[in-house]
Amino acid sequence: MKLKKFVKTRDEKFGEVIFDTLKEKVFVTNETGKDIVDLLQQGYSSENIVRSLSDLYNKEPAEIQNDILSFIDSLKNNSLIEV
Amino acid sequence: MDKNNIININDLEAPLFIAWQINAECNLGCLHCCEEAGHSMPDKLSRDETFKVLEQIVALKIPYVAFSGGEPLLHPYIFEMCEFLRKNSIDLKIETNGEYIDEKKAERFASLNLRSVQISLDGATSVAHEKLRLGGNWNKATNACKLLKSKGVNTEIVFVPTKFNIHEIGQIIDFAYSLGVYGIYTGKIMRIGRAAQNWDILCPSDEEYKEFFTTLNEKLKQYDGKMKVYFYPYDVLEELKYRRMSPAASLLVIPNGKVKLIGPLPFVCGNLKKQTLKQVWENYKISWQKPQVQEFIDRLIKEPKLLAESNKWVELFH
Ligand SMILES: C[S@@+](CC[C@H](N)C(=O)[O-])C[C@H]1O[C@@H](n2cnc3c(N)ncnc32)[C@H](O)[C@@H]1O
Ligand code: SF4
Repeated sequence: MKLKKFVKTRDEKFGEVIFDTLKEKVFVTNETGKDIVDLLQQGYSSENIVRSLSDLYNKEPAEIQNDILSFIDSLKNNSLIEV
Repeated sequence: MDKNNIININDLEAPLFIAWQINAECNLGCLHCCEEAGHSMPDKLSRDETFKVLEQIVALKIPYVAFSGGEPLLHPYIFEMCEFLRKNSIDLKIETNGEYIDEKKAERFASLNLRSVQISLDGATSVAHEKLRLGGNWNKATNACKLLKSKGVNTEIVFVPTKFNIHEIGQIIDFAYSLGVYGIYTGKIMRIGRAAQNWDILCPSDEEYKEFFTTLNEKLKQYDGKMKVYFYPYDVLEELKYRRMSPAASLLVIPNGKVKLIGPLPFVCGNLKKQTLKQVWENYKISWQKPQVQEFIDRLIKEPKLLAESNKWVELFH
């Protein structure tokens, strides 16, 4: 999975802006969303993102899994990533 | 994840979009031109100043830029400017009348991997297009679309409705599809620049607009999934009423380096010859709340004729 060709991101104090310049639509997300997008960009699968963030945040995978997967789903639903 | 309109510019370190009118020269004299283009603007940004602005766009990680004009293809080093931004992965759109696009330029654009080249086509046939676009050549504009498309450039068409051409909306959308372009964009004509001077002969009636939007909605369905048909249903005043509450995260740079709040307002919030892009962005953030701006918008709502003053710059900071 990776961001589509005309999808750009920029760090901000609150997290990250995700800008689909082709559709001219802007999305904002918090620090966790930013971490997920960063890992997606590095080619991590959903499962590996859950694992990696559970280490990073020191939380059980089951505790954070739903939030992470639903965030990835919203990226997919908004056509921001290609699988 | 939150979408769009709730973005608060005060939370952003830099704009997300720069609309840059890189020149005021133009080969055409369109009756509706919002920029009143066709002359050389005094005190233009020099080459050095231009590249300093480009460097700041990259440094501030501004993701998206559009070059417009005047006619941007008359700018002496537009391709170098494009190359600079693209080398730094900034997405870029070029807005052009298409008349200078030949095979070589289409290839150059293709190699730049642009977000898009946007061609103005104001008619499904030459008659309406050339009546509005004085000196314009419909064949050249349509050929530009074909050339760009053949080289793999993401090509969009823009259509501005006026009394002369509004009835051609259905036809031009079908024509755009036959050209194989990525999308067609339209919206109400803005009452600024030469359009304000020619308002009585250009402005479509309410009835014409009603039919126009009905056709657009039909075409939107017809081409769903095949070609992007997109339109902005609001006029300039509605846009300003919205923007005064929720300013866009964008700056409008004009050829002399001054930065306007938005096309239809005369207000200037900085000058890139004297200030950094970051300083101008900080000015922009507080400009919209200035009583001078808010009061002018109130006056505009009562007296839309004042929109004719949009190109007479009023400095907000001294
Ligand atoms: C000012 S032109 C500059 C680029 C180029 N010369 C061209 O005509 O495409 C940018 C876009 O603004 C559109 N435009 C000009 N005057 C307008 C107006 N009064 N209202 C809405 N759009 C307008 C043009 O049709 C064109 O698509
Ligand atoms: S709309 Fe474009 S082509 Fe027409 S006069 Fe203005 S800048 Fe020139």
